[in-house]
Amino acid sequence: MIALLFAWRSLVRQPARATLGVLGVAAVGALLFDMLMLSDGLIVSMRDLLDRTGFDIRVTASGDLRRVGDRMHDTDATLAAIRRLPQVGTVLAIRFVEAEADGADGPVALTLEGVQGDARPWTVLSGRDPAGAREVVVSQALASTLGVELGREFEVRARCASRNQVLPPARLRVVGIAEFPFELVGDPTVGTAMPTLDEACASRTDESDIILAAALDDVDVTAAAVRAAQPRLSVATNEQVLGRLQRNGFTYFRQISAVLTTVTLAFALLLITVLLTVSVNQRLGEIAALRALGFSRGRVVADVLCESLLIVGLGGLISLPLGAVLARGLDSILKTMPGIPGQMYFFVLEPATLGLHASLLAITAIAAALYPMQIVARLPIAATLRNEVLS
Amino acid sequence: MRLSVLAILAVLAGLPAPATAQQAELPAVMVSRQAAEALNLSVGAVVQVAPPDGSRGRDFRVAGIYEPTPDPSRLGNAVHAVRLHLPDLLDLTSPPDAPKGAESVDAINIRLVPDTDALAFSRDVNARLPGLSARPATDAGAAAGPFRVLERFHLAIAIVTIIASTVFLVALTVMLVDERRETVGVLRLIGLPTSRVLVQVLLEGALVAGAGSVFGLALALVSEGVINRFFQWRYDTALLFVQVTPSVAATCVLIAIPLGVSATVVASWLLLRRNALRLARR
Repeated sequence: MIALLFAWRSLVRQPARATLGVLGVAAVGALLFDMLMLSDGLIVSMRDLLDRTGFDIRVTASGDLRRVGDRMHDTDATLAAIRRLPQVGTVLAIRFVEAEADGADGPVALTLEGVQGDARPWTVLSGRDPAGAREVVVSQALASTLGVELGREFEVRARCASRNQVLPPARLRVVGIAEFPFELVGDPTVGTAMPTLDEACASRTDESDIILAAALDDVDVTAAAVRAAQPRLSVATNEQVLGRLQRNGFTYFRQISAVLTTVTLAFALLLITVLLTVSVNQRLGEIAALRALGFSRGRVVADVLCESLLIVGLGGLISLPLGAVLARGLDSILKTMPGIPGQMYFFVLEPATLGLHASLLAITAIAAALYPMQIVARLPIAATLRNEVLS
Repeated sequence: MRLSVLAILAVLAGLPAPATAQQAELPAVMVSRQAAEALNLSVGAVVQVAPPDGSRGRDFRVAGIYEPTPDPSRLGNAVHAVRLHLPDLLDLTSPPDAPKGAESVDAINIRLVPDTDALAFSRDVNARLPGLSARPATDAGAAAGPFRVLERFHLAIAIVTIIASTVFLVALTVMLVDERRETVGVLRLIGLPTSRVLVQVLLEGALVAGAGSVFGLALALVSEGVINRFFQWRYDTALLFVQVTPSVAATCVLIAIPLGVSATVVASWLLLRRNALRLARR
């Protein structure tokens, strides 16, 4: 405690230097904090989104993400077969179709989401769920872009068979504004019942992109039952989907986070070491005098360590709010990336992140203090004092 | 105008078989390096290629193995692909009872004669051929959207790093200049004017910043190779992830040297404003 107070006084004696050191650590610490949040942010955010939908199992034709893989045929029969399984609760089939509507500033690309089953993959914010023919719910983003309100009608041109197909416009009526958890940035969504989607596509195909199922039993046991019932389809639990994304989809951010965390720590270590070393070298005479007055070797070494801990500790504390602000800015940049659900976040704070941040900074503080501590520990008292007097 | 679509991707099925003289008559395909490695194929091997439903598979001779053009949007997905001549692919994928001329292709790439306005040409095609959508190849840049975003993200990270470096740099120069307080005091006492000392400090700062920039660039060049090799191995791609181009190097130097010199001069100026006797501690 005394060593800490002594180190504090050393810092206060040179406020400009100490302030700059603390600010430098704060900036580096903020970047470190953000990189730690980034490393698992997408996965945590995705897990949260998947859990919020209330479904535990995803069935697709090829295991690919939506719009990339093949569609499943015979949806009616498949849905009924999965629903019959005793382990399965609610079941829902979804088909995604690209479409466009006329907005005030030209055509607006959107996604038509046709659903069939026991639940809805959206949350109605105002109005009600579609019940009759040509009734739809739209996302807040689409309502703003097209300027449509509850009860109003608008036209969409669906591209059901291929991206280049242009069908005659279908007239839809808005009966609700809904939140779509997986709505992509720049790709607003219209949700409706499957018959209305078939009507917009001018054909009934009995196809779907994905079937979602809620498990009444253990998720893995339920997934195995679905897999046994539908051996030609790809069945994945939420954890398996996350695992796949962790291996392929989001790996870039983990890698870049790991690289930048390493670089940031190395940068902080190097600079704090230089700051402390120069500071100690300037005070060699003072430290030798303290030793001559009776300060033990351990005590002066502890002073240097405490000085490092104070600089890094204060900088680390400032880095938390700074990092939070920076994370919001960086997140807003990354969220403009196409194909990312609007409700996903790249930077997510978890308690473990705070602990890891503190631990890494503490290790950096100790490692940075090692060399200056060695200088102080090996300081020859008499020779240093004599040199100080002669100079 | 030239039709440049000669081959399209198809699905691999079946196992390789050793090539014989008779098999040399088989139609040829090119196999991606990743697919060749996964299926242990070599040039001359015979593979059976079939549509996804497994029907109507045909034997082909592997005429070559190619490195797929690096595609950032397919990062993390190994390119398991086969390139066939278009007629061979249409034979495989068209329904047996389909009338002649009913085959379809996804896209036709067209190379225009030099100095032709691609936009005007695409408008002309769109007007003459309803149901087709023609667009200049430069519009394909939209596919690079995620990488433009990543570019902005990396720029933001770089700005934060520069701010942190500047703070540390000022702290260091304040300390280093302070360490030479007595020397500067003596120089002032023997008659050197402040401007003369400042010029010396300026030159010294420029030299140190220049040396630092050169060292930094050398470090970047070394790490460029390491990072590229690591990520190319990790994602099994020929993409370049880090590239120290002359413009990047020039930008770094143009930021680093003025920053280093400014930090040195500002720290020195704060010191030189003091009385020479106080500086020399006399």
